[in-house]
Amino acid sequence: MPHPEQSTPPVAHLELKATLLLILMGLLLAGTVLYVLYARGVFEPTQRLTLIAENSEGVVVGMDMTFAGFPIGRVRAIELGEAGNARILIDVPRKDARWLRESSVYTLVRGLLGNTNLRAYTGIPEDPPLKDGAEKPVLIGDAAAEIPRLTSAVSELLQRLGALTAPDSALGLTLANVRDVSEKLKGPGGALSVLMGNEADARKLILTIERGNALLARVDGAVARLDGMIGRTDRMIERADAQVLGDAGLMRDVRATVTELNATLAAARTLLAGVQEVVGEAKGAATNARVATADLGVLRADVEANLRKLQHLLDEISRRWPFARDTELKLP
Amino acid sequence: MQWLRAWWRIIRLGARVLALALSAPAYAPRFRRLVLARIYLGTAPLLLWFTVLSSLLGLVIIRIVVVTATSYGLSQYALQMVVRVLVLELIPLTAAIFVALRVALPDSGETAALRARGVLHEHTRAGVERLVREVAPRVAAGVFAVVALAAVSGVVTLILAYLTIYGFVGGGLAQYTRTVGHVFHPSVTLVFVLKTFFLSLAVGLIPVGSALYDAPQRRSRSSMEIRVLVRLFLVILLIEAVSLVGNYY
Repeated sequence: MPHPEQSTPPVAHLELKATLLLILMGLLLAGTVLYVLYARGVFEPTQRLTLIAENSEGVVVGMDMTFAGFPIGRVRAIELGEAGNARILIDVPRKDARWLRESSVYTLVRGLLGNTNLRAYTGIPEDPPLKDGAEKPVLIGDAAAEIPRLTSAVSELLQRLGALTAPDSALGLTLANVRDVSEKLKGPGGALSVLMGNEADARKLILTIERGNALLARVDGAVARLDGMIGRTDRMIERADAQVLGDAGLMRDVRATVTELNATLAAARTLLAGVQEVVGEAKGAATNARVATADLGVLRADVEANLRKLQHLLDEISRRWPFARDTELKLP
Repeated sequence: MQWLRAWWRIIRLGARVLALALSAPAYAPRFRRLVLARIYLGTAPLLLWFTVLSSLLGLVIIRIVVVTATSYGLSQYALQMVVRVLVLELIPLTAAIFVALRVALPDSGETAALRARGVLHEHTRAGVERLVREVAPRVAAGVFAVVALAAVSGVVTLILAYLTIYGFVGGGLAQYTRTVGHVFHPSVTLVFVLKTFFLSLAVGLIPVGSALYDAPQRRSRSSMEIRVLVRLFLVILLIEAVSLVGNYY
């Protein structure tokens, strides 16, 4: 009867190697379990955010809520609320919750391929941070719901396009006119016949242009003569400049005259000062004369008084004197 | 009814082995040495080769998945798909088949030889004890080998997937970890763990149990091995189908 131990081939340090293998496997499994738990966010402190939506179509437990493309939360549960709406319970790690504010907006967007994205937007970063257990509404955007409307719009657009490109449509007629015009453009009159409508008018226009050219040639001659005149005028100005401002020019004489005039003015100023003195003296004499005239008035009054006294005296003498005449008038 | 009885006896053997694993005599020094030796000899020679082979196969599949997903603009789903297809589905299955071919079948042959010599019988208490003591290390070796190979290859594949998608930079680690966390949803993880456990148990138990309880055949040993393999593959297929139903329905 073979012994159990004999059924295994001999290996050196078998027990030690087997123990090591077991320990390594244990460590590997434990590490894997810890990593998966970490990846599931078990060790991360979170806060709860409840999003309230009309329906939870496309939302699955475990899906991410993103902010600026980065996942910052994970759907933990979906439940039907008392009001018949969907309540999406999201766990947001506390380190990521700082991106969410009270004024943040949440959207649930369903793509054309059935993929659903839950996104958060924060417009005002200065707002107070989102509280734990907050309940917020979520805006739903459904790309698939747009398809029927888009189809009808495209169909209408195609109909209009068909009507637009029909042979008897305005566009068709316009294109026919454009073809006529292009044929005229290729004709002898060219663009002028298109603009004028007929060749006679186009010829008139050409004649006008030719006359205009001749006129321009004459204007050129006139301009040349004008240039000559301007040249002569320039030379004249140069000569005048030399005569006025040159070394022996008028300006120098004027300057000398002004200097003499200044000297004359100074002499006149001195003379005027003398005249002012004479006037002052004359003023004094006139004042004296006015005083003297006042005294003469007094004197004449005295003289007149004295004469009246003398007349009165004479009259008294004459009356009292025997040879006095009878001056009394006697009435008959 | 014979096959049903054989199945029942195999299941009972499994229960006995598990009971032994949970009882004190299993950890007596002499028996423990025997189990350790079986475990080491069943796992160590396979570990390196299986890891290399599964890494090569995994690398090819990862590359195909990533390139295809990128060409359709679905690169964000590539990693999820790689983890689901390789780590959760293919690697445990491959490990189970590999161990079945390299460890369980030879053990089955040895057990059949012991049985043919009349060493193993269940008629006496000592015979049952001897049977369990002879079979239990082999079952433990098969179970451990499947778990070890699946675990090592799974970890190596996860590392290869990261390197293939993000390259030798650490910048994608946070996103990678998050995606792995997405895939290992609790229910998916539970199904994965149960699947690996039952696969390993099937690989450890069925070949040895078949060698013990199948009716003696007149045909050759190779025909017995093929019968064992077919039975084992049926069970593996059943476990795989149940796990897929559990995961995706």
